[in-house]
Amino acid sequence: MPALRAEKITKSFRGLFKDKKVLFDISLSIEEGEIFGILGPNGAGKTTLMSIFSTLIRPDGGSLEVLGRDALRDTHAIRERINISSGNPNFPWSLTVRENLRHSAMLYGMYGRSLSKSVDEAISAFELGSQSDAKFETLSTGQKQRVSLAKSILNRPKILFLDEPTSGLDPEMAMKTRDLIKRIYQEEEITVVLTTHYMPEAEELCDRIAFLREGRLVALGTPAELKRALQIGHRIFVNYDGEIDPLKLRIIPGVMEVRELPGRVEMVFDHSGRAVSSIIKAFEGADILDIGIEEPDLEDVFLELAR
Amino acid sequence: MSWRGELNKVYSATYKNWIISKRNAFTLFELVFWPFIGLISIGLLTRFLEVGDDMVAFVLVGAIALSILQISQIDVAYILLFDLWSKSIKQTFVAPIRGYHLVLGAMLFGVIRGVAVFLVLAAASRHLFGFDFLAGGVVTVIVFLAGTFITAASIGMVVCISILLFGQRADVAAWTLSGIMMLVSGVYYPVSILPGPLQILSKSIPLTYLLEYYRSAYGYGDHQILLGIAIALLYFAASLLILNLAIERARRTGMMLRLSE
Ligand SMILES: Nc1ncnc2c1ncn2[C@@H]1O[C@H](COP(=O)(O)OP(=O)(O)OP(=O)(O)O)[C@@H](O)[C@H]1O
Ligand SMILES: [Mg+2]
Repeated sequence: MPALRAEKITKSFRGLFKDKKVLFDISLSIEEGEIFGILGPNGAGKTTLMSIFSTLIRPDGGSLEVLGRDALRDTHAIRERINISSGNPNFPWSLTVRENLRHSAMLYGMYGRSLSKSVDEAISAFELGSQSDAKFETLSTGQKQRVSLAKSILNRPKILFLDEPTSGLDPEMAMKTRDLIKRIYQEEEITVVLTTHYMPEAEELCDRIAFLREGRLVALGTPAELKRALQIGHRIFVNYDGEIDPLKLRIIPGVMEVRELPGRVEMVFDHSGRAVSSIIKAFEGADILDIGIEEPDLEDVFLELAR
Repeated sequence: MSWRGELNKVYSATYKNWIISKRNAFTLFELVFWPFIGLISIGLLTRFLEVGDDMVAFVLVGAIALSILQISQIDVAYILLFDLWSKSIKQTFVAPIRGYHLVLGAMLFGVIRGVAVFLVLAAASRHLFGFDFLAGGVVTVIVFLAGTFITAASIGMVVCISILLFGQRADVAAWTLSGIMMLVSGVYYPVSILPGPLQILSKSIPLTYLLEYYRSAYGYGDHQILLGIAIALLYFAASLLILNLAIERARRTGMMLRLSE
């Protein structure tokens, strides 16, 4: 059973003159125990989709199943079992961090000692101890983000939705947060659905990635699959001295692109693997000064897909 | 689903209202300043007009009722207002919480504040103007207060409903509801002096019956308190139902997201 299954989800928002369609027939399914990334440019519909998945808002059309339940009807039972940390989070301003977390835990029907314990654990997990008695309005952006993350684990959700979980965090805290996401995910065997604009993060965390553009699902797969499908190859550059025949470069098996600069060639190869020796052969008669290989990364995938 | 869990979902709204109230100076204004201003100016007006004791009782009942109504309706409205001001509405509505949890929890705090205001105003009016608020017995006071709280909760819910339907600035429209009620339910005068159509309107407002009931203890004619309570309960049930529909509608229109931005 998938943790989440969406079928032809559509959503539009009422505009002043006409409705604005923001999601078009999104169909995807997220397996239990998977870390699933939703990527895409600003305004692509990621937050809207996350809000629909977490039952905060309703889609206009399509069907949605979360944890085996109909998410358009059985919303209450689903909300008990999931949680979300939204990007750019806000909480009641005049409550302290601890009071806000206590209040949130109450909303989830927690009580007594287990409530206090969850709140304490969440505070220490996101290193909020020294801010626990500070009012929410006095926190920095990153601290607010951490309160939101702390809140999202209070009820030990089966699916954790994280909208830009590390935006606004400093590099160290961002790294700790990624480690924590991985740890919770392993220890509690939960499903994580996250959005991010930081590609190395998606690459590090996500088993699979859905790419949204202008409300449409344009790609779906593991990071490696996406790179392969888009034929984003390895980038190889050679700095050299002397004369070469560029034609020899263009007939090397697997070459996708060749760019000639004075004393330097930049090439893109697919994954067939035997390129380097052919390249060296093509440079016979010249001195190779330097050779470098760059793995393609998700950033390349993003730029390609966002076009 | 445990009953303690359910209770804590209800209590979550009480908890939030309590903390925000104790931390904000404006609460003191709501609780003491405005009720006192109202009471004292009305009381002094009766002195100036040299009306009899029964007339003093008549208008003081109105002034006290209005203060209680206002304070406990705003507690219910705070369900959304606090979240609206801190843009945190989505935190509440991604949680497994239902309309009645929020309403009952906020009402609980409204009842506490309403009773406090009542006691303070009753004591003050007794001391300053010789008004005996227990003339009709304790039961009368309890029925009167209970009816007022139920009515106040409905007004508070209407505030929430308008925000969910029409957005941020709709709260203003809802405040006018208290104003209209004040005008037609006979807070400072018997409804019999209203023009005909307004008299009919006044019959649809529970506060009218509650005031008549409380005043009957001071020799002001008959009352139909059972009808009044029935209407109050009907409005309460209808408001709760519509509140739930408005929450669902806000999920469809995306208002739920817009109110958190
Ligand atoms: N409540 C709303 N009412 C009207 N339009 C909305 C609402 N929420 C989002 N939109 C519009 O829907 C589109 C998608 O927005 P969404 O917030 O889902 O994008 P996103 O992918 O999360 O972007 P970002 O990367 O900037 O967070 C945008 O064009 C936005 O203007
Ligand atoms: Mg977003």
